[in-house]
Amino acid sequence: MKPVSAFRVALWLVALVLLLAVFALYLQPDLAMTLANQLWNCF
Amino acid sequence: MTASSTPARLSMTRVLLCGAAIVTLSMGVRHGFGLWLQPVTMDRGWTRETFAFAMAVQNLTWGVAGLFAGMVADRFGAFRVLLAGGVIYAGGLALMAVATTPWAFMASAGVLLGIAQAGTTYAVVYGVIGRNIAPEKRSWAMGVAAAAGSFGQFLMVPVENGLIGSIGWQSALFALGAAALLIVPLAFGLREPGFAGGQAKPQQSIMAALREALAYPSFQLLMAGYFVCGFQVVFIGVHMPSYLKDHGLTPDVATTALALIGLFNIVGTYTAGSLGQRVQKRYILSSIYALRSLVIVVFLSVPLTPWSVYLFASAMGLLWLSTVPPTNATVAQIFGVQYLSMLGGFVFLSHQVGSFLGVWLGGKLYDATGSYDVVWWIAVALGIFAAIVNLPVRERAIVRAAPVAA
Repeated sequence: MKPVSAFRVALWLVALVLLLAVFALYLQPDLAMTLANQLWNCF
Repeated sequence: MTASSTPARLSMTRVLLCGAAIVTLSMGVRHGFGLWLQPVTMDRGWTRETFAFAMAVQNLTWGVAGLFAGMVADRFGAFRVLLAGGVIYAGGLALMAVATTPWAFMASAGVLLGIAQAGTTYAVVYGVIGRNIAPEKRSWAMGVAAAAGSFGQFLMVPVENGLIGSIGWQSALFALGAAALLIVPLAFGLREPGFAGGQAKPQQSIMAALREALAYPSFQLLMAGYFVCGFQVVFIGVHMPSYLKDHGLTPDVATTALALIGLFNIVGTYTAGSLGQRVQKRYILSSIYALRSLVIVVFLSVPLTPWSVYLFASAMGLLWLSTVPPTNATVAQIFGVQYLSMLGGFVFLSHQVGSFLGVWLGGKLYDATGSYDVVWWIAVALGIFAAIVNLPVRERAIVRAAPVAA
């Protein structure tokens, strides 16, 4: 099995942090209400 | 083989970076259009139906224009289609901002943006991936591009909400138009030398390729599966909040579910693409559709709580657009890459017809029966149908009779 390079691990970690940061944006109360009322209308 | 007979390929890094960035923009920008519903209808004094009609036209135009965008991309190069698509995207968004009549809004937000999406999303970019990335990496690369599109959808919703809140809905559309223009320089990264100056010499005509695909049972089965994908995804996407509201759950549960679908969709599309390099794609597709049915049955069988919704959303997110890479990679494997964009456009049209029926039947049967139960079970039955019909798909390259010399 090929060893996983540090660069690859760092890349995946950055991607994970980025995804979680965007996910956190969805949890803001004002966005939650706006989305619940509007976004699904035109999915 | 001489250099003149083998067109130079673009590097994988270049194709992936430019292709992923284009799909991130094109899929992302459109995904948050629902956020404009309230400000546009309030400012213009229109009904919600006016807005929803434009969005319905956009989805249908996207499907139909995809066929022609694919044909042009396969004949004259994806670069030209992406270039035009980027400009139309920007123009459509600007015109959407200044449209003062329902017809002008329908023409811009509906027709122009539908055409722009057809020219800048998966089918066109997958043609470049197919032609420039070796078969042993193709499914994975399609997974990367699909994951990028999923990320765009996930990212742009909060970004667009922030833009509307900070600079107003019209300026937000102009800002998105400027962002869409970035597709133009990115398209130069996907300019294929073999297509420059119309040097491509097709070995099979477009119509012959189309006739061959439409008469090929495996292509019909893939189209049937993709129809089910569209039906399930859009039915759940559009009607889920009402379903949750009917059962007494608060709006923030629906929003968290949306975020979870977006998050896990990225993981699912990438994983499906990667798996396509190791496992037969028909098994991947069959498993995805079977699992969707299973997940829906479990969701309907357990008591409805916020946690059951979150688990359902996470599982469905993993299965959401994960059909995209294996379906397109199978088309490439069977028919080759010469007309991949056009054939991808055809299977996508089937997806859009399913989407339309998912939304429409969801509402129609809800009105007729007073609940979503019937449509949920139709979605389950269709999932089982799609799981079965994908099993006999033959992934081997089609054998064509050699042309007879004159």
